[in-house]
Amino acid sequence: MPKIVLEHITKRFGSNSGANAVQDLNMVIEDREFITLLGPSGCGKTTTLRMIAGLETPTEGRITIGDTVVFDSKESINISPAKRDIGFLFQNYALWPHMTVYQNISFGLENLGWARDRIRERVKEMLALLQIESFEKRYPSELSGGQQQRVAIARTLAPAPKVLFMDEPLSNLDAKLRLEMRTELKRLHASTDSTFVYVTHDQLEAMTLATHVCLMNNGLLQQYAPPLSVYNDPANLFAAEFVGSPTMNFIPASAEKTGANTAKLTALGHTFLFEGNEPLEGLQEGKDNAVLGVRPEFVHLEEGELSGLVYAALPAGMETTVQLKAEGQLITSVKFGGVDYTVNTPMNFTFVGSGLLFFDKASGKKLSKGSVKLA
Amino acid sequence: MQKFKSYCSKPANLITVIFLTLLLLAVVLPLSTLLIGSFKVNGNQEAIWIGDEVADGSWTFHHWTELLTSKEFNYAETKFWIPLGQSALMALIACFVAVLFGGMVAWFITRSDLPAKQFISTVFVFPYIMPSWSMAMFWENFFKNTSINAGMGILQSVTGLCVPESFVYGLWPCAMSLGLHYAPFAYILIGGILRNMDANLEEAATVLKASRFKILRRITLPIVLPALVSTVLLVFSSSISSFTVPFFLNKSSISSGNNFVSISVQMRNLINTGFTIGQGYVVAIVLMIFSIGILTLNNWLTGTRKSFTTVTGKSGQVSLVKLGRARTPTAAIMIVIVAFFAIMPLLSFAMESLFEVPGDWSTFTLRYWTSTELFEGSNKGDTIGILRSATLWQAMGRSLLLSVLVSILAGTFGILIGYAVARKRGSRAATLMSDLAFLPYLIPSMSFGAVYLALSYTKGFTWLDSSFFLLLLVGSVKFMPFASRAGTSAMLQLSGEIEEAAVIMGVPWWKRMTRVLFPIQKASFISGYLLPFISCMREMSLFVLLAASYTTLVTTLLQEYSRTGLTQASNAINLLIILVVLVIQFAVNKLTGASLDRGIGG
Repeated sequence: MPKIVLEHITKRFGSNSGANAVQDLNMVIEDREFITLLGPSGCGKTTTLRMIAGLETPTEGRITIGDTVVFDSKESINISPAKRDIGFLFQNYALWPHMTVYQNISFGLENLGWARDRIRERVKEMLALLQIESFEKRYPSELSGGQQQRVAIARTLAPAPKVLFMDEPLSNLDAKLRLEMRTELKRLHASTDSTFVYVTHDQLEAMTLATHVCLMNNGLLQQYAPPLSVYNDPANLFAAEFVGSPTMNFIPASAEKTGANTAKLTALGHTFLFEGNEPLEGLQEGKDNAVLGVRPEFVHLEEGELSGLVYAALPAGMETTVQLKAEGQLITSVKFGGVDYTVNTPMNFTFVGSGLLFFDKASGKKLSKGSVKLA
Repeated sequence: MQKFKSYCSKPANLITVIFLTLLLLAVVLPLSTLLIGSFKVNGNQEAIWIGDEVADGSWTFHHWTELLTSKEFNYAETKFWIPLGQSALMALIACFVAVLFGGMVAWFITRSDLPAKQFISTVFVFPYIMPSWSMAMFWENFFKNTSINAGMGILQSVTGLCVPESFVYGLWPCAMSLGLHYAPFAYILIGGILRNMDANLEEAATVLKASRFKILRRITLPIVLPALVSTVLLVFSSSISSFTVPFFLNKSSISSGNNFVSISVQMRNLINTGFTIGQGYVVAIVLMIFSIGILTLNNWLTGTRKSFTTVTGKSGQVSLVKLGRARTPTAAIMIVIVAFFAIMPLLSFAMESLFEVPGDWSTFTLRYWTSTELFEGSNKGDTIGILRSATLWQAMGRSLLLSVLVSILAGTFGILIGYAVARKRGSRAATLMSDLAFLPYLIPSMSFGAVYLALSYTKGFTWLDSSFFLLLLVGSVKFMPFASRAGTSAMLQLSGEIEEAAVIMGVPWWKRMTRVLFPIQKASFISGYLLPFISCMREMSLFVLLAASYTTLVTTLLQEYSRTGLTQASNAINLLIILVVLVIQFAVNKLTGASLDRGIGG
């Protein structure tokens, strides 16, 4: 079964000018995983996907799918996409408008030289799997967005590819349908035993679907880890900021090491003692040298000695997002249940738990995770 | 080498390599021979004419200096500067007529509640499908009269009126016929913008309480301006180098003082003398520079202004101007005018070929269609009745064969080039290829003919001289721009994913083209075949320098008959050409939905 290995993959567009689209990417995708390539637009995630699929040629590096080297810049190996045994689901479906749903699905199988009966059987199976039997004779233009999406999935799955690539397949659907399809994709993954590689810029989609998230920015790999690790243990400021909604609070601080894992922090007009799980290695000395990262759920309201004014309260029913202003700094907190606060009410708050993150400001790297106490 | 091999393994790359080479050979090479030819002595006759004991083939500036500066007998002035100035004047008037007439119709069709729009719009475009000289022939048929020794025209035979010669032949009639011929072109360009212009733009102004007139002046006109400028420039550039219209309408006697020789006619005269070929090349180069300059200007203007001509095409209801009580009369007048210019020419060609004196029923005769009598001193098979004439049928067959081959070559190349351009968007080689494929569009037909004439006189290429292959080559290259433009825009409309979806499934390239890409954009691609066919079928200027007696085409035969004064025969042939073009265009349109107004060019 296939395991995908990327080694030192670099892609430059055009002649040497400008930054690299993808730079020195190393990644191992294990068999039957569901990987999401996540990042803001232009970060190189689609390029990466297309390079693995063979639709784009890397400038340098080596890609292996299963036991086969499908690309190697040094040995001039470049196997065509058709021979990589993959499926690809495109962002705007790329259904062939002049073919019916049935023909769209069967066309690929015909090319594989399947017998007519077998094609018929397989197409029926696919139509049933995606619950689109009744549209068999329709043309793509006669289908809704969600139905087109299902046809595209059926077409991609029909030849039973070992690896399935998806390029933001849900971005053209409305919010409700997207949620539905998300569930369906996850079930498909369970029932097809293929490896899925999925591109998205929607962190929620990445978090909920994937077994591993590959977070990229400016062509550089930021973090490659299971979704909850990325959420709880972001590798750097970018990862911490990109994943999670509402966004993590970043509180500028001046830190002074007091031990291997401990430091004295000056922030929000107070002095805190930080105690982490890892040594604070590589911390630059000086003023404003650190950033304390606090997830909104770790900011508890109406307790503790810190204080601020309510800036805005956004009750959403199940939870309420409250923004406070303290020492000129906006602090976001999430409170379970619907509560409404009047603007400009004074409010006490505190940072709880051992999930607070200590970042080195200059490098942006996370140095440690731990808890704070007021000194 | 390894690198080159893997580069060529992608079809788009391979196409780029092949077509870049082909286009360099078929476009750049002939152009350079023309340029060289204008600095060389071309043949012994020319050497004798120049004197000074220059040898055939040696370098000389004589062609340029004599044609542009010689004061001997006012040579430069009469042979070059006056024809150039008059042609420019003719082109300016033609622009004015075309934009005014075409723009007016466009506005009525797109922005008013005029009835019978469909009819007016269809019929109005009709003259543009006819060969470019049809309006000129019609003009002559209509206005000629016995007072100027030109036989009785329709106007005279119906009303007895005789218009003066300057109204029948010369600069003014040429300009009018050109203007009328290009009015539909102006209509297509301006109407296209007006139709696709987001109605919200005007509605926004209406909401802000701007008056109708103010909206037209401040919103609509500025938005249409680029299209207007484009029309003016394209019509100007096509008109100034027009050969056919001045050819049919410069029959004034020299003594009348109304003599008009256009710069293109002058070019042909210079080349045909045999001892001023080099000077003919000089004219060809000058015309080419003119055209390229104008079209570059046009691209630059529309390029920088594109930002606000961007059409969304999404706008809903356009509030049409209510014509009120003027509605019916306006429609009636429009229908009459439009029908007059679309249908009357056909009638006039029929009448000219069926009557000794047009309109005089006592002179009705089928002689010019069916008689087997031979022309006096004509070649074998040259009968008076054109339907019995072996010469005509051979020419017709050759024209059809040529047009079919040209359309197959140009159309297929256009699709392939479009494919490569779309797949390799932004790559330098692909851009160069598409520019080269478009270059022939910028070169006036007559000059383009001269380019290949120069090539066929060049050592190593003389086997091309007067061959059918030369016609095929020149036709395919000249009409490739239509096809490559149609192909490129059709391919660009298809997202790359459509093809990639098939790539992933292992569909081979050939099958992807025929089973996926072609069927989706069938109509556009077939237009890419249809346009070269029709253009080739009705093309005269391009072939007039190149067709030899044994490669006569139906258009060059028409030219020959007209030159020797066989009015009835030339009218009959013109009618025949129009019928063939119409029938084929109609058939293709009905069968495939492809139509000419997609990407129709000047």
